[in-house]
Amino acid sequence: MSYDTTGTAAQVRGVTRRYRSATALDDVTVGFQQDMIHGLLGRNGAGKTSLMSIVTGQDWPSEGEVDVFGQRPHENEQVLPRICFVREDQRYIDDAKASHAFNAAALAFPNWDWGLAERLISDFNLPQKTRIKKMSKGQRSAVAVIIGLASRADITFFDEPYMGLDAVARQTFYDRLLQDYAEHPRTIVLSSHLIDEIAHLIENVVLIDSGRVLLTEPVEQLRGRAVTLVGRADAVREITADREVLSRESLGRMERTTVLGALTETEQRRMVELDVDVVPVSLQQLVVHLTTRDPQSGDQEVAR
Amino acid sequence: MSAVAEQRSSFARVPAAFRLQFAVPGTMIGVPVLVFVAAWALALGIVVWVHQVDDRGADLAAEPIYTGASQAALWCLVFMAAYSATHAFPFSMALSYSRRVFVIGAFLAFAALSLGFGAAYALAAWIEDITGGYGIEAYNFDLPYLTEGPGGILSAGLAMTVVCLMLMLLAFGVTMFYQRVGLLAFWAALLGTVAVLAAAVMLVTVNDGWGTVWEWLQNQTALSISGWLMLPTLGFGVLSYVTIRKSVPASS
Repeated sequence: MSYDTTGTAAQVRGVTRRYRSATALDDVTVGFQQDMIHGLLGRNGAGKTSLMSIVTGQDWPSEGEVDVFGQRPHENEQVLPRICFVREDQRYIDDAKASHAFNAAALAFPNWDWGLAERLISDFNLPQKTRIKKMSKGQRSAVAVIIGLASRADITFFDEPYMGLDAVARQTFYDRLLQDYAEHPRTIVLSSHLIDEIAHLIENVVLIDSGRVLLTEPVEQLRGRAVTLVGRADAVREITADREVLSRESLGRMERTTVLGALTETEQRRMVELDVDVVPVSLQQLVVHLTTRDPQSGDQEVAR
Repeated sequence: MSAVAEQRSSFARVPAAFRLQFAVPGTMIGVPVLVFVAAWALALGIVVWVHQVDDRGADLAAEPIYTGASQAALWCLVFMAAYSATHAFPFSMALSYSRRVFVIGAFLAFAALSLGFGAAYALAAWIEDITGGYGIEAYNFDLPYLTEGPGGILSAGLAMTVVCLMLMLLAFGVTMFYQRVGLLAFWAALLGTVAVLAAAVMLVTVNDGWGTVWEWLQNQTALSISGWLMLPTLGFGVLSYVTIRKSVPASS
């Protein structure tokens, strides 16, 4: 695999990370294009956090190279202030309140925006007098999210940011992220194992499984790989007869079927005749299919 | 946002890393000050009480009583240095500090705290000196083996500064080492250190060297001890950085 490195915020080349008992990353090559929101998707233990730790210089590769804005991040103060990565289970200074953590972050990140931080504190209803270690999981996540957003770092990593956040707080995070991203474009990487949760935010998908990158592709292109048809069961079956089916759900006489590949013109005409609708394909279904398919039959298409 | 940022000093964030140690104002300054004052008051209280329950009264008051209360704040600071390795370090990674800048900031903070402790020690010793142990010959700081050498009370303050810094760096380094290598390797290293010390003791014993050792120790003053202790202090500092350079932050 080769990448054009112009406009690339972070580039990983042939990175392997071995721990004593396990290989977390296995010959990973991937680029994160600048000023774009990327989804780093994969199951638990796939290597998402390991990859983010290495790109941010918190960890280092056993083999291979990492560049962030053209420089190696490990111990490099030229590039580290432009990176922000708060872990999902981040440890804070004991007895610290949220304000203490934010004060420290404001000193560390050159682009820190207090106005944004204060808006987010009130949006998330973050308690001012509670020590972080006494906070609920959701409140701790909010602290991490606020540091991530208000740091306005040129490349920001969010590690499963929705963990512990309730539905309202999650929506707040997604809204504020998109809003601030529109005003201050930068490179953002969201890791997640719940794919549909962040599908509407991301422009590019990096899919990782068992320490290997399975696919890296713009969301639109990925979605074009499959279609979901909804209509009468016999009509849907007629159109999808020769197709590879990703999923099929029957609801009485109706059927909802997702198949690989785009529709031909003949198929589209037939669909109109049979009153079958096309609905957007679930990214989650597609990704689950691509990660669980038999490697012998589908290798070519998946690991392009 | 361009991919090319202006070149900045690699040490530009050292002041911020220094202030990171004081991010929670209570822990690094408030608690040690409280412990310093409380231990002092407690030790004095005990001396006063001893005088009251002892019926020899005036005879006893003529005999100076020395306490170790001055050490309380020292151990408190040492504990805080270990805390910095377990908590401030992972947080500094989230703030995207390089380990080098974090360590420089932390060591400067430890040095400032040690200086503060040394100054407070010298001031307290001076108060005990001019008041004759608060008029009841009670001494927590003005201890003869520290203050009766060349340089007097100032040398004692210097010695306490160096001792404090050395122990803080040791605590920081040992904690960092433990986090890096895990329990088994930590104990192996500890036993190894004990074995080396035991070998040194045996060597001295076999060569009938204890007399020389005691003589050397008795000839030391607060000033010369400060000088000698600079060596392990520097060593612990370097070892800490070597350990942290490839440490991965633990999570909560």
